[in-house]
Amino acid sequence: MSLYEIRNMAVTIAENRLVEDVSLIVEAGHCTAIIGASGSGKSLTCLSPFGLTPGAASGTMILDGIDLGRASSAQIRDIRRRVAGFIFQQPLTALTPHLTVGAQLQEATMQAGAARPSRRELARKLERVGLSRANERLDQFPHRLSGGERQRVMIAAAIAHDPKLLVADEPTSALDASLRGEIMVLLDELRAEKGLGLLLVSHDLASVEGHADQLVVMDRGEVVECGPASQVIASPEEDYTRRLVAATPRLQEPAPALSRPGATLLETRGLGVAFDRPGWRRGKIRALADASFMVRQSESVAIVGGSGSGKSTLGRAIAGIGPVTEGEILWQGIGLPERRKRSLDMRKLIQPVFQDPVASLDPHWQVRDIVAEPLRNLRPDLAECERIAMARQALSDVDLAEDFLTRLPASLSGGQAQRVAIARAIIASPQLLVLDEATSALDPLVGAEILALLVRLQGENGLSLLFITHDIAAARRLCHRVLVMEEGLIVEAGRMQEVIDHPRHPATQKLIAAS
Amino acid sequence: MLKHHFPLLLVLALVMLALLLPFLLPWSYHEIDWDAVRAPAFSGSHIFGTDEIGRDRLARLAAGTRVTLMVAIAAALVSLIVGIAWGATAGWIGGRVDEAMMRIVDGLYALPFMFIVILLMVVFGRSILLVFVGIGLVEWLTMARVVRGQVMALKQRPFILAAEAAGTPATTILLRHILPNIAGVALAYLMLTVPQVVMVESFLSFLGLGVQEPLTSLGILVKEGADDMDMTPLGLALPGILLVVILVCLTVEGERLRDRFS
Repeated sequence: MSLYEIRNMAVTIAENRLVEDVSLIVEAGHCTAIIGASGSGKSLTCLSPFGLTPGAASGTMILDGIDLGRASSAQIRDIRRRVAGFIFQQPLTALTPHLTVGAQLQEATMQAGAARPSRRELARKLERVGLSRANERLDQFPHRLSGGERQRVMIAAAIAHDPKLLVADEPTSALDASLRGEIMVLLDELRAEKGLGLLLVSHDLASVEGHADQLVVMDRGEVVECGPASQVIASPEEDYTRRLVAATPRLQEPAPALSRPGATLLETRGLGVAFDRPGWRRGKIRALADASFMVRQSESVAIVGGSGSGKSTLGRAIAGIGPVTEGEILWQGIGLPERRKRSLDMRKLIQPVFQDPVASLDPHWQVRDIVAEPLRNLRPDLAECERIAMARQALSDVDLAEDFLTRLPASLSGGQAQRVAIARAIIASPQLLVLDEATSALDPLVGAEILALLVRLQGENGLSLLFITHDIAAARRLCHRVLVMEEGLIVEAGRMQEVIDHPRHPATQKLIAAS
Repeated sequence: MLKHHFPLLLVLALVMLALLLPFLLPWSYHEIDWDAVRAPAFSGSHIFGTDEIGRDRLARLAAGTRVTLMVAIAAALVSLIVGIAWGATAGWIGGRVDEAMMRIVDGLYALPFMFIVILLMVVFGRSILLVFVGIGLVEWLTMARVVRGQVMALKQRPFILAAEAAGTPATTILLRHILPNIAGVALAYLMLTVPQVVMVESFLSFLGLGVQEPLTSLGILVKEGADDMDMTPLGLALPGILLVVILVCLTVEGERLRDRFS
């Protein structure tokens, strides 16, 4: 008998059926992964049977011989306490800020009625999830730990009471690319060691590949396809799965055809950025040091690194929206000053695109005004009707229909909003786009479309791109060269394929192993 | 609208009444009816009777409501303008300038407000202008703090950075991107400031520091009513109830607005 089996489950919230007819099986010691875009009902599917969402689950859900569909809320509480463990996406908010790591872990261990654990037992639990200096960590509060460390504590707490089933809702999505692989490997080890069944939820096919035994693909509240993971990925039967597999960037896929770069446009020499410490205290925080590289005409350069590596700081300095404290930025040999000292002619050359597409559009402005905003300053020679005509043209360049002109950002999906942001960036015919994680916040299918759009724009207009990302596989789809950053320094640079084939720096090796 | 915003509609109806009554009543608020001193309610043309020197109580209520709300709205607007200007400047410039400006706000918060108003009154004499100054002095502080927080949060948003990259001048960014986005929150706090000012004004008037006779306000009416309440309880009850109704209604609406925007 399987450890956990769901048959024909539906989830309703306030009379709306959001998940319909889901069936899946989790075997002891195995991993079943649910994959789907945001809003596909994957989190509802895994959390509703345990009463952890506002939704009501109906159908047959048998965990360890108990039918959750018929259990009372007291019984379900008991199951949460004894049989199941949970890991959530946001490790900071999932840990109670005012309790030390040791106190949280002790609470988690005792929830199923176990005796008070000794300090040594708690330390051993932390060591088991790969935390160094476990004894010291027991007395620390969650805010002292990094994201990856917090997620390890979460995992330690989730398995502290020896559950049989572990439910992990996007356990690696909030983490750096290089940490993701480590956490997934840890989950694999625990699974093998304790015979734990793992129900994993993710929006990212690449992150579960090689870890999941069974794969359930969901779209709009329904199961599209399910089966053994390797089989579903290798030969998907449904169209949606096929598109999803094609949209997921992989390092092994054939090298894409890219445009031929021309002469050097942008060059930085010893660029460095240091921020003042907040408040009255003296001192500086170095975010970027000694960055020297160049970008050629119609070339794409990827800047890859974990969070806090200084890649966004570098991008902002180049786009003229962040400070520069040392070194210089040259555009065809002419120096570009920082931020507000940049003239309008210089502004016209470089435009940014940001990670969160909805936050990068003013919620009170219509799409028409948003897209035309650069023209108002950079092309004062144009009349208002010419600006609108150009906005219309820019929208059609990013494949949006004309009726988007009068929409407000709140009515756009993530992918549409990112297209509007790209239209705004290209409307004044810049020569370089700085894309700061421009596809990271999007669902994989939408992200792949945006990547394809960027490749097309580069081919048509000879645009140069600076593609800042943590995902080297996505960068490979459009970039000629790559810079790898760590702790404010460029630690490796070279042609994309060469760096992927022969990574020299440990940071690069980690990033590539994680993809 | 009627069901959801009953408190707001009630206040609007009261304001309309206060504005229209002078044209409908045969008596003005300072006219003395020598034939009907301390007249009881519903005697002749005095619906709520007259006070101890024969002035029509309803006309005085209307005048008091007008003055109180006028002071409240004017002071709230002053606090809105000063608070937004100060808070937005501090939040936008940031760094040391922000630190210095906000320490000034903290300092003003710490001053014993009543004491200063009483001192001002003693030195310069009673006038409606001083009531404004005194109230305006404190009420903009909260607004400045709220606006500063909002601006600092907005400043980091990508659409502001995109506007900078698009070459939009700083003043245009402030006026066209930042101010419209803090308008909702500012409006909510404005709605909450009005009842606060009504309260402060009434309190000052009750202490005898408010507007000058024969002009009146709800606070003065409450005070006069309290002096005379063993003779005619109506004199205390009417302005008292009116004050409570206005305060409760405005606070309810303000809190509702604030919840919507935060």
